[in-house]
Amino acid sequence: MTWTHRERVLAALDHEEPDRVPIDLGAAEFTSITLAAYEKLKRHLGVTTETVPMSIIHSVAHPAEEILQRFGVDARNVQPGPYVGGRDHWVDENCYVDIFGVTWKRTEKDVDQHFLHKDGPFHGGKLTVERVEEYDWPDPKNTGLVAGVRERVEEIKKLGDYAICLYLPGGVIHRGYAMRGFEDYLKDLYKNPVALCRLMDKLCDFWVETAQTVIEAAGPENIDLIYFGEDLGTQDGCMFDPDTIYPEYIKPRHRRMVETVKSLTGAKVCVHSCGSVYDFIEHFIDIGIDVLNPVQVTAKNMEPERLKADFGDRMCFWGGINTQRILPFGTPEEVAAETRRIIGILGRGGGYILNSVHNIQAEVPPENIVAMFDAGRAYTYEDMHAHA
Amino acid sequence: MSTAEIYDAVLTFDDEQVPELIKAELENGVDVHVILNQGLVAALDEVGRRFSEGTLFVPEMLLAADAMEAGLDILRPLLTETGAKPVGTIVLGTVKGDLHDIGKNLVAMMLEGAGFRVIDLGTDVDPGEFIAAAQEHEADIIAMSGLLTTCMPEMQATVQAISQANRTRNVNVKVMVGGPPINQEFANAIGADGYGMDAPAAVAQARALINA
Repeated sequence: MTWTHRERVLAALDHEEPDRVPIDLGAAEFTSITLAAYEKLKRHLGVTTETVPMSIIHSVAHPAEEILQRFGVDARNVQPGPYVGGRDHWVDENCYVDIFGVTWKRTEKDVDQHFLHKDGPFHGGKLTVERVEEYDWPDPKNTGLVAGVRERVEEIKKLGDYAICLYLPGGVIHRGYAMRGFEDYLKDLYKNPVALCRLMDKLCDFWVETAQTVIEAAGPENIDLIYFGEDLGTQDGCMFDPDTIYPEYIKPRHRRMVETVKSLTGAKVCVHSCGSVYDFIEHFIDIGIDVLNPVQVTAKNMEPERLKADFGDRMCFWGGINTQRILPFGTPEEVAAETRRIIGILGRGGGYILNSVHNIQAEVPPENIVAMFDAGRAYTYEDMHAHA
Repeated sequence: MSTAEIYDAVLTFDDEQVPELIKAELENGVDVHVILNQGLVAALDEVGRRFSEGTLFVPEMLLAADAMEAGLDILRPLLTETGAKPVGTIVLGTVKGDLHDIGKNLVAMMLEGAGFRVIDLGTDVDPGEFIAAAQEHEADIIAMSGLLTTCMPEMQATVQAISQANRTRNVNVKVMVGGPPINQEFANAIGADGYGMDAPAAVAQARALINA
């Protein structure tokens, strides 16, 4: 059987084995490549196509189609268009205010040049329901958000039969950190949950309503994956209590997000969270999340063997190639070996999409990027079972 | 009434009760160092222990630190009056090129709670700034944090600059490092004197470096 790219992804998401694991680069904002690493990759591959940024804030590129073809990438990205007439503006080249009124800053000395949220509309002082309600919230019906969406879907379909991933930015945690301040958001979960829940409801409203209009613009039947990003884990554990705080205050909002999009499309839903998120996975499964990204295998309790054993029949994994050690500092041979190792664990029985843990960072040599994707493309399921 | 109630109030993150209980203990003639060590430092050590074992999380660490800080606000001037010296002086910051600070902030809170004097330089700190601050404040330790793998070379360069300053300038300071991409192996490879896997471990490491 000859597999199309889309068939390969859909099989994996249905926990079946296609010919090889599906490969991703750039289907979403946290599965792509930073601009600094991308420029080195382009030079290495002799690609001269002008770089198109996917996100200035996260310093991430839309990889050129010729690079995606070179690596055998099976999914393609669709995302909302740029908001028009909002409050977003550049203060200077290192400081940007977004449509939610969050101030993002970067340091010139960061090789990767990506931004961090440093101020926001609810930073400082006590958060109150009134403060949340009185804020001038951006409009999810803004016409800019659907601009170019249908055209992008048609463009992908002309390229071939690829899996289409709709990336819907924001969520109720990550954007909440940005608007309220990381530390105050976390403290509010315990000391001021009523007001914080109102903030999360507003964020949930925006995400859900944006999802409704963008899915309609894309054509619900055209979408295979929906991806959103949150932030529940640290290197060494959960960011907050997975047994009390998450189910009481956050899970209902996540459930609403997932159930909304699943009522509109047959797409699988992926949640992104860095760090140690093992203790949240049963909750994710409970609300209908199908895929976990980026699978930070170096974080606590995130060993790939353990994840596959405990959740592999009910959760797919997208990511997994060690971004803290092997990808940036290993040899190409070590990268290739690690890629095959992870495929052999997370990909057994399907349920895995190959990608680095988070965006490919600035210090990753282009030879290692090539080694990862070439190893993934060459290592078939037939190979895996022949050596089992 | 006892320091045990202060300890309990820190562990229940009651930043209003902690200072009230401390004032009451002071009125009862309890020594300020006893209140500090048995009421606050011991409580924060317990918070750190539970965090490391995974039964308390980042928000609770932040709330406990707030409760402790509310208590320290009462005790600090009294400690100064007694001429009490801090356990040690630590200059702390996130390395050049990195703006992440929550891990560093947690370490700062835990170190202060443990009786250290902490000079927090913030984020994106040059090697020269670390060294100058260490000289100015006669620091015992420079503690560096970083979240980005991209900044690990910067951490190495900063450790080297500090080693150089120790040899050639009037500086005598130990260096410790921490952050998600860092491990003991990396700390050893770059010549750091210490490494802390998390905030409580950083406190333990700092204590060990002072006592060495």
